[in-house]
Amino acid sequence: MKKFAIASLVLLAASSAAFGAGDAAAGKAKKSQCAGCHGIPGYRTVYPDTYQVPKLGGQHAQYIVDALKAYKSGDRKHATMRAIAGSLTEQDMNDLAAYYAEAK
Amino acid sequence: MKKHLMIAAISLPLTLVFGNVAWAAKGNAEAAKEKATTICAACHGADGNSPTPSFPKLAGQNADYLQVTLKQYRSKQRKNAIMNGQAEKLTDKEIADLSAYYALQKGLYLKR
Repeated sequence: MKKFAIASLVLLAASSAAFGAGDAAAGKAKKSQCAGCHGIPGYRTVYPDTYQVPKLGGQHAQYIVDALKAYKSGDRKHATMRAIAGSLTEQDMNDLAAYYAEAK
Repeated sequence: MKKHLMIAAISLPLTLVFGNVAWAAKGNAEAAKEKATTICAACHGADGNSPTPSFPKLAGQNADYLQVTLKQYRSKQRKNAIMNGQAEKLTDKEIADLSAYYALQKGLYLKR
């Protein structure tokens, strides 16, 4: 039983490493489609409502990944974000999140 | 003269009343400070720099984005068990005030 517990823990640790903690440098290489809206001062989305798109710099990486996943699945509704998130792999999401989460 | 006085007597109070509509949309950060630092702070941190990765940082976020988001939580257009409950009783003014408060805090930034 103890061996099983240890083996499970090792496997669990290994699996999160396998998914790849995000790499901010890799994220930087992928961020052009994000910067088009999120990197422009005062940029406003106009459909379905008009408001400034949220600032991403310094946000929690996990929150950014959660949001991208929710957009991709349709849990969180926004046509443009759904399309963009839909084009991202989990690794892409982790990398982009790591990039944006960096302190100023 | 009397006619001008009458016009002023009617339009001045109207301006004061409806002029507030623009202010309400903009939000009074000071008015929201108590709520933000006592209730919202529990998850989002005292100044909106949440220490918990699953609760977003709000400090420095765009006020109009925060307003839209709080309204979406209030109407349940956006579903989140915690935020739907928290936003349920907020008035438009409280939403504007809270958004103005967090927009003024230091934290998030526009990253290109």
